[in-house]
Amino acid sequence: MREAPILVVGAGPAGASAAATIAEAGLPVLLIEQRDQLGGAIHRQPAAGNEEHVWRPARHRRNWAALTARLQASAERIEIRTETIFLGVDSEGRFLFDDRHEACVFARRPRAAIIAVGAIETIRPFPGWELPGVMTAGGAQVLLKETGRPPEGPILLAGGGPLLPALAAQLAKAGNPPVAVLERGRPWNAPAALARLALSWAPMSEAAAYAAALAASRVPYRCGAVVTQAEPDGDGLKVSIRVGETQEPLLVRHLLIHDGIAPNRTGIPLPDPDGAVPILLAGDGREALGADAAILDGRRAAMQVLARLGHAERGAPSDERGLQRARDFQATLARALQAEPIVPPPETLICRCEGRSHADLAALAPDASAREIRLMGRFGLGACQGRFCGPMIAALRGQPLPTASPPRWPLRPVSVAALARLTIDETE
Amino acid sequence: MKPTRFGPSLYGTNRFGMASSSPLHVAVIGTGIVGASAAHFLAAAGARVTLLDASGPAAGATGASDGAVSVASKRPGPMMDLARHARAFYVRCEQDGLFRGLFHRRSTFLVARTAIEADLVAQHGADLAAAGERVVEVDRAALLDRIPGLGASVCAALEIPDDGHALGYEITERLLATSRASIRRNAPVSEIVMRAGRACGVAVRNEFLPADAVLVAAGIGSAPLLGLGEILIPRKGQMAVTDRASVAGPAIDGHLMAASYLAAKRGIVRDNSHIGLVIDPLMTGQFLIGGSREDHRSDHSTDAATIAAILREALDLYPPLAARRVLRSFAGVRTASRDGLPIVGLHPHYAGVVIATGFEGDGICLGPFMGANAARLLLGERPEADLSALSPQRFARVEAHA
Ligand SMILES: Cc1cc2nc3c(=O)[nH]c(=O)nc-3n(C[C@H](O)[C@H](O)[C@H](O)COP(=O)(O)OP(=O)(O)OC[C@H]3O[C@@H](n4cnc5c(N)ncnc54)[C@H](O)[C@@H]3O)c2cc1C
Ligand SMILES: Cc1cc2nc3c(=O)[nH]c(=O)nc-3n(C[C@H](O)[C@H](O)[C@H](O)COP(=O)(O)OP(=O)(O)OC[C@H]3O[C@@H](n4cnc5c(N)ncnc54)[C@H](O)[C@@H]3O)c2cc1C
Repeated sequence: MREAPILVVGAGPAGASAAATIAEAGLPVLLIEQRDQLGGAIHRQPAAGNEEHVWRPARHRRNWAALTARLQASAERIEIRTETIFLGVDSEGRFLFDDRHEACVFARRPRAAIIAVGAIETIRPFPGWELPGVMTAGGAQVLLKETGRPPEGPILLAGGGPLLPALAAQLAKAGNPPVAVLERGRPWNAPAALARLALSWAPMSEAAAYAAALAASRVPYRCGAVVTQAEPDGDGLKVSIRVGETQEPLLVRHLLIHDGIAPNRTGIPLPDPDGAVPILLAGDGREALGADAAILDGRRAAMQVLARLGHAERGAPSDERGLQRARDFQATLARALQAEPIVPPPETLICRCEGRSHADLAALAPDASAREIRLMGRFGLGACQGRFCGPMIAALRGQPLPTASPPRWPLRPVSVAALARLTIDETE
Repeated sequence: MKPTRFGPSLYGTNRFGMASSSPLHVAVIGTGIVGASAAHFLAAAGARVTLLDASGPAAGATGASDGAVSVASKRPGPMMDLARHARAFYVRCEQDGLFRGLFHRRSTFLVARTAIEADLVAQHGADLAAAGERVVEVDRAALLDRIPGLGASVCAALEIPDDGHALGYEITERLLATSRASIRRNAPVSEIVMRAGRACGVAVRNEFLPADAVLVAAGIGSAPLLGLGEILIPRKGQMAVTDRASVAGPAIDGHLMAASYLAAKRGIVRDNSHIGLVIDPLMTGQFLIGGSREDHRSDHSTDAATIAAILREALDLYPPLAARRVLRSFAGVRTASRDGLPIVGLHPHYAGVVIATGFEGDGICLGPFMGANAARLLLGERPEADLSALSPQRFARVEAHA
């Protein structure tokens, strides 16, 4: 019998940090990543054969170099499986993985699991958000990081949160600065929050770097500006923008939208740190606190698993203090950028997979059960299983989209042929 | 609950002893397809109806099932006959508008992959024909014409052209939307309250809800309410749903039902690991593939080994499924009675209580018709078909002799 490994799902900063910490303590690790490379949302590397690196602050580059060096140093204890998707845990307690390379699903029983699948982007829906030419800012950033090339033609960034100026700076450095960045919040109306933010040195120096890049390319950053509609217009889009009481149109080729990030929990097993097979969440997938906190949180989860398995002391208190600082920072940022929710018109699309509108959502009984929302409303029933529309529905209904319990697998669509070829490894 | 002697039938003249000026108030326990149908037809007849569900509409088997409205799959005997009535009821409701757009005619193909299976299919075809059902023999070449890509192992098939399909939760939603019955979600009934030998209401948590009569249509939840733990057993079924193989309408021209499913239905195999294979092309272009039959399992979780086994069977029967992706797996819980027949009728001991449960894997087909008949029983009218084989009385008798 082989020694069962500790499973780490997701090779972003949180997963990499957890995997390295566990391997350094001498235990075997199975590190699962759906993409073809490690790095996660922030350290995404260029696709093979492409040398262009997108500009990132030096601190992030150093952090990732340190993490990869640690993974390398413990390589003999870490089994890395890329292009492999974690599908969830079945009723027999088997952890299921879709090996896209071999086109087969395999099942393992780890000793413990750390799930570090990161965050999902959220958006606030408006008529036309589903049109070609509209994309999430994070999706555009992935393309930029993988291809090294920005989209062609005029780009507008809109929504809320710190990713907008970050991406705008990266687009500018890559040669196509956006025509504007529209931030729905009005930070100048929250001076107390702004003053507190100024005390956080690392993120603020990052913000300053982005601000400098935007200023150099003369990209306007407009606060209190909201996209209310997008319509097709020739090859591009006619975007309606509301600033205070006034409406103005803008013609662009690409509209990149983003309204913050939220932990990705769709289909993810519930945390169970004291279970027979302890399950912990780490990083943005536990609490969206950003890249620096993700490294701390990955180590925290690893230390907790090691302690559970009798291998080490509990996590260092400095990790908890660092996480608390990140939490305070995110809360303050949220306060600075808070904006009144806008109720979208009834025809606005909410669920892209099944084509369901805001009117369909409003037609559900206020106390509709999970079944009714899914089956009769057809919300959360399509390919994304509510991963994308879930936060929108939660915001509009004022309560979270009820999830299936126990969480359903597969949490991503999986080939019938691959699943039929299921291999179960019972040697562990 | 104080048991009384099994009294005179409910076909009394003074409906539950109520003054005729105030409408009959019926508490319906369970908002599955059966409870929703009963509530719809009760309300249509002028009764006041309160539906109570521990969760919400379609929370039980109705929302976790396939929707074959199929005579082809039924055991010979009363089930086959009642399914013919029930399917005709669907056709009628479709024509009069109630089920418009929700019930679709389509063929069932009973397919055999071995000589033994071919014998079973032939026997079943003979039983169907004897019950008056249209049965068409199709050879392999003709079948390949209808369903291109069918697996090499398929050697014989029968087509049952008059079957249909409806999604249980859509029917339930329609029945509720078109009636004035009031629905109470998150209302688990803990007890049927009796006074002087007849039902006078139900208890929901600490609340008493008065009613003139009670319908128990709570699926497997009927067992604790009625003390039928020995008679009703849960039978879990796991299924998988794929992505869309076509953008509009079913991807193949009929419902594929393997002989392995008939074998389970006819009681030839009883084994928790047996797969009774059906491949159902949904109106959305997706496929629903099932399923397992796991006795005494009432959880809703699915396991990869079972789902993979279902998919291997399905690929053997219909290899083009290899190009599809599984969007989700789910499990539903069928309510099976000890003798395999549903339980529909007056409670043998408690006046004012009607039971409609035990529909196993047939309640989408039978549900609307049986709900309508439960409504008739509650209103003191005769059922539209002979339901004597389903009477709860049969278990009262067994108990008495035991
Ligand atoms: C779209 C987006 C853009 C961002 N941009 C910036 C930025 O510009 N600057 C900044 O400072 N911060 C940014 N952040 C935040 C920052 O990336 C995160 O705080 C940090 O990456 C979190 O690390 P993590 O390890 O928790 O998650 P991630 O880095 O997201 O890593 C999660 C990993 O899990 C993998 N994964 C997910 N699901 C599965 C599955 N089912 N099976 C297998 N693998 C899976 C993913 O492919 C990914 O590699 C961004 C976040 C998002 C979502
Ligand atoms: C996998 C699978 C596939 C199937 N395929 C088919 C098919 O193709 N064709 C077909 O005809 N049939 C099929 N069936 C069978 C069909 O789904 C059921 O027979 C039918 O849904 C039963 O309906 P019901 O109203 O009796 O019970 P249910 O739908 O189970 O409804 C019972 C309701 O009662 C509620 N309840 C329970 N206890 C209480 C309480 N104490 N208080 C209040 N409420 C309570 C529950 O929450 C539930 O909503 C299938 C079933 C399964 C599981």
